[in-house]
Amino acid sequence: MMGPAKLEISNLTKAYPGVLALDDFSAAFDGGKVYALLGKNGSGKSTFVKCLSGAVVPTSGEIRIDGVEARFKGPADANAAGIAVVYQELSLILDFTVAENIMLGRFPTMGPGDITVDWKKTNAHVQDILTSLRIDIPVTRKISELSVGQRQVIEIAKAMSLNPRVLLLDEPTSALARHEINSLLEVVRSLREKGVAIIFITHKLNEIRSVADYVTVLRDGRLVGTVPIDVATPKVIVDMMFGETTLQSRPADLKVGEEIRLKVTDLHRKDKYEDISFDLRAGEILGIAGMLGAGRSELLRGIFGADAIDGGTIVLNGTEVRRPTVTRMKKLGLAMTMENRKEEGLIQIMSIEDNLCLASLDEVGQRGFLSHFLQAPVAEKWIGRLQIKVSDALQEVQSLSGGNQQKVVVGNWLNTDPKVVFFDEPTRGIDIVAKQQIFQIMWDLSRRGLSVVFVSSELEELLEVCHRILIMEAGRFIGEVLEPENTPIETLYAMCMGEMAK
Amino acid sequence: MTTSDTTGKGKGSFAPLAATRRPFFKLSDFVLEAILLAIILLLAFTAPGFATWDNWMNILRNAAMTGIIAFGMTFVLILGEIDISVGSGLAFFGCLLAVVTDSMTTAGWSAEISIVIGVVLCFGIAILAGMFTGWVRHVLAVPTFITTLAWMAAFRGGAYLLTGSFPVTPYPDWFFFFGSGAIFGIPFQAFVFLLVFIITWFISRYTVFGKSAYAVGGNAESARLSGINVLGIRMAVMSMIGVFTVLSAIMVSSQIQAGNPTVGVTWEFTVITACVIGGVSLMGGKGRVWGTFVGVLFLSIMLNGMTLLNIDEYWQYVARALLILGAVLIYQVQAMNARRG
Ligand SMILES: Nc1ncnc2c1ncn2[C@@H]1O[C@H](COP(=O)(O)OP(=O)(O)OP(=O)(O)O)[C@@H](O)[C@H]1O
Ligand SMILES: [Mg+2]
Repeated sequence: MMGPAKLEISNLTKAYPGVLALDDFSAAFDGGKVYALLGKNGSGKSTFVKCLSGAVVPTSGEIRIDGVEARFKGPADANAAGIAVVYQELSLILDFTVAENIMLGRFPTMGPGDITVDWKKTNAHVQDILTSLRIDIPVTRKISELSVGQRQVIEIAKAMSLNPRVLLLDEPTSALARHEINSLLEVVRSLREKGVAIIFITHKLNEIRSVADYVTVLRDGRLVGTVPIDVATPKVIVDMMFGETTLQSRPADLKVGEEIRLKVTDLHRKDKYEDISFDLRAGEILGIAGMLGAGRSELLRGIFGADAIDGGTIVLNGTEVRRPTVTRMKKLGLAMTMENRKEEGLIQIMSIEDNLCLASLDEVGQRGFLSHFLQAPVAEKWIGRLQIKVSDALQEVQSLSGGNQQKVVVGNWLNTDPKVVFFDEPTRGIDIVAKQQIFQIMWDLSRRGLSVVFVSSELEELLEVCHRILIMEAGRFIGEVLEPENTPIETLYAMCMGEMAK
Repeated sequence: MTTSDTTGKGKGSFAPLAATRRPFFKLSDFVLEAILLAIILLLAFTAPGFATWDNWMNILRNAAMTGIIAFGMTFVLILGEIDISVGSGLAFFGCLLAVVTDSMTTAGWSAEISIVIGVVLCFGIAILAGMFTGWVRHVLAVPTFITTLAWMAAFRGGAYLLTGSFPVTPYPDWFFFFGSGAIFGIPFQAFVFLLVFIITWFISRYTVFGKSAYAVGGNAESARLSGINVLGIRMAVMSMIGVFTVLSAIMVSSQIQAGNPTVGVTWEFTVITACVIGGVSLMGGKGRVWGTFVGVLFLSIMLNGMTLLNIDEYWQYVARALLILGAVLIYQVQAMNARRG
């Protein structure tokens, strides 16, 4: 086995039109250590990853691996040089088994002419890899039968099967449930022992503590510094990321009104959820907590008309709806930001401006006519209000960093002038300050008498933001928290696990 | 290199940047136009009779027939769909019009009324067929390639059945104006061509409908979840190309003075070629009506020039192939440069 790896970056710069995504970035990363790479949305973390993976060509600067300068024309070069990357978007083939996915493109062969795949060898080899990473997933299982968390772990195993010297993980945990995160961190820890240099990008500060050795912070494409984990208190990290900031908590003046905005009675859908009844009042922020797969998104999607429902009644702003459709519910004043912004919230190849007007095309347009001159003020308004970091509103929305894309989704729906807003995992992949801004938006909506339903896997957030929290498990409401401000996180966590259900 | 500071320093404020000025004119956005211009100049000096009024009117006349359909196809492709039935549709609607006119005039109706009824019938069938294709695509997820493949066979078969495979020639003299007439020396088709261009260009850029079509082509699921009427857009766009096909069929019938079941063979490819040359993406979500306009002219001018230069017909196919590959290459390189920065 080789000694610990060494990755050195000098003066790395990447310029996009109108923005320096990386600005003269220099740093060294040692093998056998885990570096948490932090920075607010748009600070250049993913750009750094893309430069190392060969996905983009840096404008200038140098990358050295074990002292050897590396220049990548494409991802294959980067792999050959010993760099492996795990992206948040999964690249596995769903209908293939774990072993097939990991060995794709380099199956061991046998027989005359070496043209038959040696499945025995394939499976055995992959089993070795999984065992060495302490991953307990059968190699012959199809990817489609695995949970998102298990898929993410397989993605890492696939990256590791190339024996890389450097492993980059770009927000690998943002779509995972709590116990899945734990097993993923376990895998990362076992990799550290192999002398690999690991760079781990995340917005969840609590993960860092349990896995990282060092914290490296980027701001506006520049290195702010690297500090050992034991001096990196949350305060230190946040100050490094943002400069001086103060984080706010829920204002006291938010009142829940009398008027019922949304009344749901006995809503059900086979195998998804049943017996769902709740009221949502004017100004109320209602949280829905639960584990992944509890049916929270399905429920909201059902009410919103995105998926069919089997039965039950929905009364929205005094109108009874039996068969909701998105168009209908939108007219009645319901808005919903989807959990998967990439596939369901945005049109990646359209401009930021277009994406901000998508749900309100009829209103932005005048008698069916539409133009840049009508759209531009709308875009400008939301870019300003939501503080979206944009260099040009006519750029494709996919050029934005993850957190800023999320804000575009929110802006798109706020522009429909809704009365009730559903937020499904709105804080996924966004930095603490941007999170605070999303909370501020919810509080503002509440102050103006609008109602909010907030689904999040981050239980702390629910306690911080909501007036009331419903707990969902296996498609049913099993409990309720009436005073979130006086409820410890452990209690809520236990309730979600179903242990303290009434 | 221009750089700009996009974030407020310290304080954690995100001062949004005022939109950076985009250059008003970038030559790299007009590669196709530039090449076309160069070819026109070249032909003007080398091809005998190229730079004459009559020849240009001739080019316009030829461009119009496929061009009108190409504008409809642009929307279809933007939607991420395809319609390969337009060539057969052209024959079918031409024959239908001829047969209706023929039988009604024989039954004693005036030619005017017969033709009007025939035209209305054609539009009706085209719209219904398009709505059906869009509906099947939306509700049953049948690819438009399949449905229009069926229409392609049905239309061609229908054209032969209607006419008994012989051209039908029922038209009065005034009808020939649509295919051979001119106003101020400019062919009638050219006006229709320009009109359809302006209308579709306007729809694509300045209407909610146009924007919705791009949205559906870009990501139908996001569009649906934003409350855009995806089914409506699909049905409307598939009908729109049918309407343009009928328009073209009327002019072709007028020009050849008959309903002929053999016309329009491989027109679908010519039409798609024009769109592709103009930079419309077959993946959906991307494409400009202006690009198609240039693509249509490009094709017609090239073919016209080669004919004037007495270049063998078979070589013209080769030229067409090179044109498609060349155009696609240019667009791909441009897209890649944009992506990799
Ligand atoms: N293809 C591109 N064209 C133009 N600008 C781009 C492009 N890709 C990234 N950028 C810009 O570069 C900056 C850095 O983006 P990057 O994705 O690296 O941020 P990030 O730190 O990963 O943010 P997040 O935490 O939100 O994922 C952003 O301002 C972004 O808008
Ligand atoms: Mg990122």
